[in-house]
Amino acid sequence: MAGIIEVSALERSFKGPDGAPLAAVDGVDLRVEDGEVYGFLGPNGAGKTTLVRMLVTLLRPTAGSARVAGHDIVREAAAVRSAIGVTLQDAALDPLMTGFELLSLQASLHGLRKRAAADKAEELLERVDLTFAGPQRVGTYSGGMRRRLDLAMSLIHEPGVLFLDEPTTGLDPISRKVLWDEVRRLNAAGTTVFLTTQYLEEADELADRVGIIARGKIVAEGTPAELKAQAGASKLEVTIHDPDQLATARELLSARRSLLAPRSGVSLCLRLEPGESALAPYVVALDQAGVTVDRIDLVEPSLDDVFLMQTGHHFPSDGDEPAAADAAVAE
Amino acid sequence: MNAGIAEQLRLAWVLVRRGLNEVLRVPGASIPGVVAPTIYMLGGYSVFGRLNLLPGFSGDDYLAWILPTAFIQAGVFTGAATGVNLARDIENGWFDRMLLAPAPRRVLVAGVAGSASIRVLLPCVLILVSGWLAGIGWPGAGTLAISIALAALLAAAMACWACGLAMKFKSQDAAPLMQTSGFIAFQLTAIFAPIALLAPWMRAIAQVNPFTYLLDAVRQGWIGEISWHDTWPGLLAIAGMLALAWWFAISRIRRMDA
Repeated sequence: MAGIIEVSALERSFKGPDGAPLAAVDGVDLRVEDGEVYGFLGPNGAGKTTLVRMLVTLLRPTAGSARVAGHDIVREAAAVRSAIGVTLQDAALDPLMTGFELLSLQASLHGLRKRAAADKAEELLERVDLTFAGPQRVGTYSGGMRRRLDLAMSLIHEPGVLFLDEPTTGLDPISRKVLWDEVRRLNAAGTTVFLTTQYLEEADELADRVGIIARGKIVAEGTPAELKAQAGASKLEVTIHDPDQLATARELLSARRSLLAPRSGVSLCLRLEPGESALAPYVVALDQAGVTVDRIDLVEPSLDDVFLMQTGHHFPSDGDEPAAADAAVAE
Repeated sequence: MNAGIAEQLRLAWVLVRRGLNEVLRVPGASIPGVVAPTIYMLGGYSVFGRLNLLPGFSGDDYLAWILPTAFIQAGVFTGAATGVNLARDIENGWFDRMLLAPAPRRVLVAGVAGSASIRVLLPCVLILVSGWLAGIGWPGAGTLAISIALAALLAAAMACWACGLAMKFKSQDAAPLMQTSGFIAFQLTAIFAPIALLAPWMRAIAQVNPFTYLLDAVRQGWIGEISWHDTWPGLLAIAGMLALAWWFAISRIRRMDA
């Protein structure tokens, strides 16, 4: 059976600063099954937004093909638009209109008559907990309220596929949690969700499967558990109380396992064997050697480890400079 | 969504109403475009009010001569302002939301152009009230209808042109181009004096300038009688301008995803 989203060798290039083509999305293949939450993870400038804009028909591919809800994104763009809901990276709202008016307008554009559009607007305002703000102009909304209204607008025609492009970027933790809950609720009701994010935790929390993109190419794909398993076994991080005992501890532990780069100058990090989870032997050995341990942590592999393994560097933190390709998209 | 004509008109009307929001909610933003044609008319009348004594004017009241130009200017300014608003919608992402709707692209353009046609009524009313206070007589219902209808059609044409520019440049930085292109084209017509009194180079331009024929069609009833002879070239001119501007806007909206 065909996937609800099928992408084959999709490419999009922009003119780079030197005039040469710059590939923002470079031969991406992926498939999303009906009812899945697919997390598309990548740092700023990796090509996430470019890919989403192609899939939602806002940007034409340079090469390759894609089908969404059974429709070709280029030849059947209108049918794709009827089948999907979209919230883009920046909440696309008219600040002069009220929340109720925006939802009614959106409902009208999707073919609902005046009365039905008003009923739908009321229903969605209630669903995203914005009934109190419905009569207020959107310009007065907080960031979290705008995001929720944007999400409500994308649900007006009850789409089977929902694209969420970094829906929680810039939101406070509480607003983020509210949106996560809504995504889970929508997915439980049968909506397929294609979620781009630059937050490792978000992909881990929400996605059934994750695709990791870097420099326009998918570098890893699978369930979060599968990807973490690829990244290897757990790590043990030991923080030593007395820096003078660090050499003794290093000698002791390196005789048992290979050491990794530590987080700080008074800690040691070693990779455990796959399946190994018992900390006691290490604690006992250090204790018998007279080394005072402040803290000992068993660290499970994370998606950051997957990213590190695939690209050779850690996942950039929020706020890093976007790459040239996404800067071109932003223009 | 394969919308029929009635459904497309309904969708366009929804967008027209949305386009009128700014007038109602930020009236201050509309003031320059509403007031400018009247100021231009009254200024022109105050400075050149006795030009009608020159041979070639046939003794026309100069206010009746200059007032119709304000209708044309109202169409030009309102259309340009509509394009600037669209550029702002593109910049803040709202237009992406419009493009994601399954409504046909031509409906989106028609909605924007339609809002310009209605917004132009505001400066038209101000022109008429100011002209009346300055002493203009009742021109007759026909003259009034032609003046307002052509101003509305011109506003739609200029809105299509300006929206095409907005979609090409995707920035309010294109605002000067939207505003000056129509303004300059209109200046190269018989605004202040009959075409026969213009300098040869300007007369040559005015004779091929569609704004000239549009202005003649609006002006005819204010300075004389309405005739088919002066009407059809104006209708042809506005039809041509609308067709070209519509084609430009539609081609640009279809290239928004390129």
